[in-house]
Amino acid sequence: MIIVLQIALCLGTVVAQATLSAWLSVNNIYPDLCLIFACLVGFLTNEYKGLMIGLTVGLFQDLLAPGGIGLNMILKGLAGCLAGATTHTVSTVTTGAVVIVTLVLSLGCGLASLIVAYPFLDGSDAFHAISWVLLPQALYNALLAAGIFWLTHKVRPSFAVVHFAQGRR
Amino acid sequence: MAMILEGPLHGVAAIQDSVGETWNRYIALQQVWEENQRLKQEIQQLQGEQNRLREQSILAMEFQALSMYQATAPLTTIPARIIGRNVSNWYQALVINKGTRDGIKAEMGVITNAGVVGRVVRVNPITSIVLLLSDPNVAITGMIQTSRDEGIIQGTPQGNIHMKYLPPLSPVHVGDVVVTSGLTDDFPRGLQIGHIQQVTKAATDLFQSGEITPIADFSKLEGVLIITSFQPAVSAESSPPAETLPVP
Repeated sequence: MIIVLQIALCLGTVVAQATLSAWLSVNNIYPDLCLIFACLVGFLTNEYKGLMIGLTVGLFQDLLAPGGIGLNMILKGLAGCLAGATTHTVSTVTTGAVVIVTLVLSLGCGLASLIVAYPFLDGSDAFHAISWVLLPQALYNALLAAGIFWLTHKVRPSFAVVHFAQGRR
Repeated sequence: MAMILEGPLHGVAAIQDSVGETWNRYIALQQVWEENQRLKQEIQQLQGEQNRLREQSILAMEFQALSMYQATAPLTTIPARIIGRNVSNWYQALVINKGTRDGIKAEMGVITNAGVVGRVVRVNPITSIVLLLSDPNVAITGMIQTSRDEGIIQGTPQGNIHMKYLPPLSPVHVGDVVVTSGLTDDFPRGLQIGHIQQVTKAATDLFQSGEITPIADFSKLEGVLIITSFQPAVSAESSPPAETLPVP
């Protein structure tokens, strides 16, 4: 039952990315809801859950994206796993930590996607893509993730230790 | 005696009338309030319904235009509805509600009644992914309608559309209409792509290039047509004039 719920959540996130991201876009910068979801699961649970949710949501995203299958799956899986790993390296996951880690992961994922999507970009186009798309998007992702994380703690402070399936961390 | 009583009676009756009137008008308004609430709800419901019908009407008009174009254009097309956009941030893409079950294949051209939209790049059983013309991974051949000079049309990472490799002496002007040249397998000749917005040629460049304003507003599309087959254009050089054909 929990697995079905998790898969439904992953599907819902991809559907939200396809339909709602236009509403959430700021100056044509779209948030990567799948990355945010994978990171948040990592922050709120552990690296294993982050990895699994990241792989699942990435796979669903790949099915509806023009690029080859596997890229988003690997990137989101890695992001979820690394986000989860930070919960072991810091004593308490704070909103500030969420901002920094999501920013770094978003930059990494964005850069990898950029290289795969446009392998033949020249210098000026690459500079434009990094400065006008990659950086603002990473910042947007980080702020959105931090906002959701903060709200989650406000609404239910114990959420961070009551995990999706496997009890307490 | 009666006259003595008449004054106070009139007074009391007047007071009774005014109190009753005040009561009915200003205090006993429960019924009116309830009716008001009911009417407000009804108005909201009707406004919602009106909005829904207006939305349906707009959609129906757009699909009617597509349907009319589909009936008159010398192409075999399948209409599809757009159900998602930009699932990945690095591609200018649409998700449509037709897939392999409807006969859609990768590399098919996608158009509207206005002109070219893009190309199908991935097909799932019930959905397909369309890369827009403004994506750098899409390139088609096009030509200036008036001068018939051909070039390659490709998107940029900024979401613009460029026309490259135009002959250096081609008389290209701002506002010239750009159409498909029919040299690729996915689009027939003569479909409108857009207008030339800017022409650039540096002194050291071998070719001219131009920036194109697309004829279709990609951000407002609701429905598209996928080209499944068309009659390829026969070039004038390869076929003899009609009057010289031998009479059977």
